[in-house]
Amino acid sequence: MKQRVQPRTLFICLSLLCLLAVWLSLALGPVSLPLFDTLRAGLRLLGLPIAADGLQQAEMILGQIRLPRTLLGLAVGAVLALSGVAMQGLFRNPLADPGLVGVAAGAAMGAAVAIVGGAWFGMPEAFAPYLLSFCAFVGGLGVTALVYRLGRRDGQTNVATMLLAGVAMTALGGAAVGLFSYLADDATLRTLTFWNLGSLNGASYERLWPLLLVAAGVAVWLPRRAKALNALLLGESEARHLGVDVERLKRELVFCTALGVGAAVAAAGLIGFIGLVVPHLVRLLAGPDHRVVLPASLLAGGVLMLFADLAARLLLAPAELPIGIVTAFIGAPFFLFLLIRGRS
Amino acid sequence: MRRPVALLALCANLVLSTQALAAELPQRWVSAGGALSEWITALGGEARLVGVDTTSQHPASLKSLPSVGYQRQLSAEGILSLRPDVLVGTEEMGPPPVLAQIRKAGVQVELFSSKAELSAVDENLEHLGQLLGAEQQASALAASYHQQVEGLQAKVKQAQAGHKAPGVLLLVGHAGAKPLIAGQGTAGDWLLGQAGGRNLAAHQGYKNFSNEALAALDPDVIVFSDRALADEQALQALLKENPALAASRAVREKRLVSLDPTLLVGGLGPRLPATLQSLAANFYPAAKASFAQ
Repeated sequence: MKQRVQPRTLFICLSLLCLLAVWLSLALGPVSLPLFDTLRAGLRLLGLPIAADGLQQAEMILGQIRLPRTLLGLAVGAVLALSGVAMQGLFRNPLADPGLVGVAAGAAMGAAVAIVGGAWFGMPEAFAPYLLSFCAFVGGLGVTALVYRLGRRDGQTNVATMLLAGVAMTALGGAAVGLFSYLADDATLRTLTFWNLGSLNGASYERLWPLLLVAAGVAVWLPRRAKALNALLLGESEARHLGVDVERLKRELVFCTALGVGAAVAAAGLIGFIGLVVPHLVRLLAGPDHRVVLPASLLAGGVLMLFADLAARLLLAPAELPIGIVTAFIGAPFFLFLLIRGRS
Repeated sequence: MRRPVALLALCANLVLSTQALAAELPQRWVSAGGALSEWITALGGEARLVGVDTTSQHPASLKSLPSVGYQRQLSAEGILSLRPDVLVGTEEMGPPPVLAQIRKAGVQVELFSSKAELSAVDENLEHLGQLLGAEQQASALAASYHQQVEGLQAKVKQAQAGHKAPGVLLLVGHAGAKPLIAGQGTAGDWLLGQAGGRNLAAHQGYKNFSNEALAALDPDVIVFSDRALADEQALQALLKENPALAASRAVREKRLVSLDPTLLVGGLGPRLPATLQSLAANFYPAAKASFAQ
């Protein structure tokens, strides 16, 4: 195997990249603002006393559109990547992604119910977006809880059973979404399709806070369990001998994933590939130690998301690409490249 | 010597006052609705459009304008980058948080009806006329629209006296494969009804039918609308992909009518009366001459 990057170098690079991504995400957009105006508006938003003359537009674009969008991107990317690490650790399989325990399928099912059902029963416009987020979140959490229950027997969680239950529930969720797409009218169908591709478009603070809270919780909690995850790498009984409460760890991993991915999907729709590619990438660069992989994935997830979002909003401006397409287009070839390079 | 100066002053005054009046009306428009863009063009406002959505396909000159994407998936910053004074669209326009952001940025957001009803056309035209400062033109357009559609209905009634209303199916397809059938409550159903056809499909919305179910309905006329191919090619593809259709009365008697799919999206537009006339002429071949006028 090729040599690894020192954790310190990796963290410095990722932090710099993260700052760059945040800056670009605030500075670039279809509306071209003078750099100086962006800076001044940014400083004003931070509460510095700067005269507001001629800054109204910059302040509005920065404060109301780009900043919430950037925060949303960071939080979604970080949560998805962390959940990916949790799942790959839990299943001890680098191909695991957060979809495996059914959270994505559950969320998609919840969203389909909300979009199609909302169109049937006539939802008040003001309430519709919250209903969608709420149903997606509840769907993701509910299906994951079911998968977890199915995997449990005699107080033990069998990971293999859980995996299979997850596959089955994903298939079931897919069928339910298919049924709802069949029943949907044209307009509803397009909404559903776009939701399935994800977007950071239309981010607003009111819908951001719940996700930021969840993301902070997951980001604080999971790295504390890094050592236990390392022990789990050796196998379940070995981890138990090392004094890890394996059942509790599994429960926590599943719960964190369901909560995190549920909240991310509720806020931005289904965004694929981040949860699979980012942890893998970090592991290829820095090795399997979860004390490094977890925080590094958190940063890398946010960075990749912001860059993908930049492409999503700039490539077709003034129109916009769904971000799920961009993450897959960036993520999949990069992943292949790393695979081939790692083998040679 | 005095007179030309006074005249000049008068002219200047006149120009200035009309400019002042015009300044209150929105000058830079983004339209997120196919039919609305057509109406704006019909009212002479095409020069004011600075961006349109992907459903605005007519007239073809609109395609050279910047595209703001699909009407339900607009991007706030993308639209703001066009520095519009007003964004017009139907109630299908969204997502709502983006519209809220656009409003917050000081852009007027005006909503119109996409319902397939004549009253919706009246309201939309009146509203657009006010925004464009072309009220008279708008009311004249609305009046002639009413006249055309009502005149057509009268002719359809006459034709129906001598002829049973034909059973019709509207097939919307993509290169012929797996066409969707327009059911009740769709814009397509409204079109067929207005032109005097009897929609054989009883379901709601647009749905796939099996080949067998298609053949069993045995339509007198098939109206087909293809998003990928044009008239004759679309027909060939449709018949090739759906062999069961070949046995239907419509195909045997060659009563197949092509319909522009852009007519089915985003409410009633200005091209509709002409389309209705040609549909009706195909539904009632005996009375064809009366529809042609």
